[in-house]
Amino acid sequence: MLSHLWAIFLAPFQDFIFMRHALVACLALALGCGPIGVLLVLRSMSLVGDALSHAVLPGVALGFLVSGLSLYSMTLGGIAAGLAVALLSGAVSRLTLLREDASFAALYLASLALGVLLVSWRGSSLDLVHVLFGTILAVDDAGLVMVASITTATLLILAFIYRPLIVECVDPGFLRSVSGKGALMHLIFLVLVVLNLVAGFQALGTLMAVGMMMLPAVSARFWARQVWSTALAAMVIAMLSGYAGLLLSYHGNLPSGPSIILTAGLCYVFSVVCGAHGSIYSRYRAAQHLTG
Amino acid sequence: MSFSPTVLTLVLALCLAGGGTATTAEKKLNVVATFSILGDLTKNVGGNRVEVTTLVGPNGDVHVYEPTPAAAEAVRSADLVVVNGLALEGWMDRLIKNSGFKGPVVVASQGVKPREMAAGELEEGAKHGPLMTDPHAWQDVGNARLYVQNIAKGLEKVDPASASVYRANAEAYTAKLGELDQWVRKEFSGIPRQQRRMITTHDAFGYFGAAYGIAIISPVGFSTESEASAGDIANLIKQIRREKVTAVFMENVSDPRLMEQVAKESGVTLGGTLYSDALSKSDGPASTYLEMFKNNVTLIAGAMWKGI
Amino acid sequence: MASIVIHDLTLGYDGHPAVHHLSGTFESGSMTAVVGPNGSGKSTLLKGIVGILRPFTGRIDLGGLKISRIAYLPQQAEIDRSFPITVRDLVALGLWERIGMFAGMRDELWRKARQALAAVGLEGFEHRPISDLSVGQFQRVLFARLLLQDAPVILLDEPFSAMDNRTTADLLQVVNRWHAENRTIIAALHSHEQVRSYFPRTLLLAREPIGWGDTAEILNPENLQRAQQMSEAWDETAEACPLGEIC
Repeated sequence: MLSHLWAIFLAPFQDFIFMRHALVACLALALGCGPIGVLLVLRSMSLVGDALSHAVLPGVALGFLVSGLSLYSMTLGGIAAGLAVALLSGAVSRLTLLREDASFAALYLASLALGVLLVSWRGSSLDLVHVLFGTILAVDDAGLVMVASITTATLLILAFIYRPLIVECVDPGFLRSVSGKGALMHLIFLVLVVLNLVAGFQALGTLMAVGMMMLPAVSARFWARQVWSTALAAMVIAMLSGYAGLLLSYHGNLPSGPSIILTAGLCYVFSVVCGAHGSIYSRYRAAQHLTG
Repeated sequence: MSFSPTVLTLVLALCLAGGGTATTAEKKLNVVATFSILGDLTKNVGGNRVEVTTLVGPNGDVHVYEPTPAAAEAVRSADLVVVNGLALEGWMDRLIKNSGFKGPVVVASQGVKPREMAAGELEEGAKHGPLMTDPHAWQDVGNARLYVQNIAKGLEKVDPASASVYRANAEAYTAKLGELDQWVRKEFSGIPRQQRRMITTHDAFGYFGAAYGIAIISPVGFSTESEASAGDIANLIKQIRREKVTAVFMENVSDPRLMEQVAKESGVTLGGTLYSDALSKSDGPASTYLEMFKNNVTLIAGAMWKGI
Repeated sequence: MASIVIHDLTLGYDGHPAVHHLSGTFESGSMTAVVGPNGSGKSTLLKGIVGILRPFTGRIDLGGLKISRIAYLPQQAEIDRSFPITVRDLVALGLWERIGMFAGMRDELWRKARQALAAVGLEGFEHRPISDLSVGQFQRVLFARLLLQDAPVILLDEPFSAMDNRTTADLLQVVNRWHAENRTIIAALHSHEQVRSYFPRTLLLAREPIGWGDTAEILNPENLQRAQQMSEAWDETAEACPLGEIC
C-alpha cells in the first residue's frame, strides 16, 4: 500500500530531474507570486497580470531579435517593456484626467500590436511567441536561478515596504498627508509585479505565471482575514497546485501548464463553495451564535 | 540655363536604348512559391527564365503563416503559383481568393502516395491521435522527383516558348536528385536496423523514415502547436534510456530548451539542427534542398553511429 | 506656535474660485468652526491648508509647521472599507510620526493605541476587521487615529454628518479635550447648534468671508442672510479677476 502511494505521489520526482526542477520552480514562483497576487487583488488590479503578459511582448521580441534565444536578454527586454507600460500608465493617470486602468488598457494594446509587428517583421511566424515564452517542464538551471532570485528579491522588498504599501492600498489620502512617498510605493509594487510576471513567463510560460499569481490569491481570500495570512494562504495554495498539477500532468499525460492552473482553478471553486470566510457555505450555514 | 540640346538627345537615346533592350529581352515569369523548399525546387527548374517569390522564407513555419499585404500583391501579379498541397498551406486558398489571382496553380505533390500521420503519435503503432494527411512529402527524395516533374509541367503550360529549357533543367536536376537518393541509402546501409531510430520534435520525417527505413519517434506535444505533458516527457526519457537511442534532434522552429532537458536527462547529446519544413538562410547549412538533405542525413547517420 | 495665517487666498477648481480673497488668522490654540452654505468653500479651504489644493493667488502661512504635523480628517475618506485590516492596525497608523515606514510597533505603542480606542468608546474593538464596523464606529476609529497623531493642528471636514447623536456627542467631547490641550482646531460644520455650543470662534464663509470672529457675534441673522444669497453655481460669464485687486 505504502509503495503504491509512493509510486503515485513521490516517485515521479525521485526518478526524473526535470520533474524535480519543475517542482522547485513551482515552489519558487509560488513564494513570490502569492503575496504579489494578494496585493493585486486587494488593490483591484486583478486583470493587470493578464494585460501585462501582452505588454511585455515587444520587449521579449526585441531581446530575441538582438541576441536570439537568450534567457537573460529576453527577460531583460520583457521587463523593460512591462515597466515602460506600467510606469507610463501610472504617469498618465497622475498627470491627466484618465484613470490608471484606462491608460493601462490603451498602452498594453499598443504594446501588444508593436510586439506582433516586431515578431512578424523578422519573417518568422507567430509561433515564435510559443518559443519566446517557456514551459515549466523545460526550466533549466539558468531559469531556476532567475525565478529563485526574483522571488527572493520580491520577498525582501515586500517585507521592507510592507507598511507604506498597505497604507497606500487602504488609505492613500492618509499616506499622502504623512509622507510624500505614495507614488514611489506604487511604482515599486508595479516593478515587482512586472519582475515576477516576466520571470514567470520566461521560465514557465505565460499561462503559468499569471495563473499562479491570481488564482491562489483569489482563493486565499476565503481562508484568511488579514493581509499577511492571506498572502501565506496564497503561497500554500500555489505550492499545492504546482505539486498536484505536475502529478496530474505526469500520470494523466496532460499538458503541464494547464494542469497546474486547472488544479489552482479547482482550489478556487472549492474555496468559493466551502472556504472559511465569505464562501457560499459559510454564509448559509446556520451557525451557532454566542450569547454576547 | 537650358540644358544643352546635345545632352538631352543623348539622355533620350540612352533611355530608348534601355527600353529597347528590355523589350527585346525575354520577360521573366513571375512565380510564387509558398515556402522556401518549393522555391528552391522551382528556381532549379525554371533557371533564369523565372523570378521566384517565396512567401514563407527561410526558417519560417509554413503551417501557421499569416499572409501580409505584400504576399497578396505578389500572388496577384504572379503568372504561376506553386503550392505543396496535402493540406500543408491551410491559408493559401483564402490568400489566392483575396488576391484575385486567376491563373494556374501547380500542386507540387500531385501524384504522391500520401502517408497518414497521427496528431499524437509516440511510437509507430503505439498510440494514435486523430489521423491526418502528412504533408511533408518532400522528405522522400523520390517524391521530390515528382515535385520537379509537376513544376516543370506547370511552367511549360504557362510559358510554352521556353518548354525545352524547363525540360532540360528538370532533367538535370532530377539526375542530381537521383544521385542524392543513392548517397542517402549508402549512408544508412551500414547502420544496423535496431540503431536506425531517431527522435525529433516535429513529425515532419514520416516520409523520410518510410523511404530510408528509419523509425521516427516523435514525442507527443513537442510540436509547435500543443504543450508538453510531464507524462510524455517521462516516457520519452525512459524510452531513450531503455532503447539506447542516440539520434536526438531539435527542429528549427520549436522550443529548444525542452529538447535540451530531455537530452540531458536521458544521457544523449543533441545532434544539431535538422531542417524539415524550411531551408536555412543563405549562409546556413541548408540553404538549398540538396544542402538540406545532405545536412540532415550527415547529422542523423553520424548520431546513429555514436550508439554502435 | 501653531497659528495659521491666510493672506488674500483664492482657491478653486478649473479657474473658478471656491474661496475668494480670504485673509485672516487661525490663532494658535483656537477652536474655529467654518460654516456656510453648500459650495461655500469650507472643504476647499481645509484642502488648501493641508496642501492638497494649490492657491490661484495668495498664500497660507503655516509658521514653519510641517504638513505631516497637521491631522486632517477629510469629508469622505478614500478608505477601502473591505480591506482586510484590523481596527488596531488602522488606528496605529496615527503613530506614523514615531514609527515611520519601517520601524516596528513596541508594546508601549500598542498600549497607546488601546488607550486611544478606549477614549472614543471602542474598547475591545482592537481585533475587529474594519469591514465589520458601522458608520459611527468607523468614524470613531478615525478619531482615535487622529488622537494618536498628537498633532498641534487638527482639521475636521464635516466630521459629524450622518452620525447618530450619541457618537456625535462623544466625539465632540474628544474635540473639547483637544482644545483644552491647546491644539489649534478648525472644523467645517453644518449644524449651527453644534457651533454655538462648542466652538468659540467662527468663520462664516460664502466663497468670500462674511465674518470671522467670536461665534456669538458672527452668527447673527443679518450675516446668515447674506451668506444664503451666495449662488452655488459657478458664474460661467465671469471675467478674469485682475491680480492684486479685490474684484
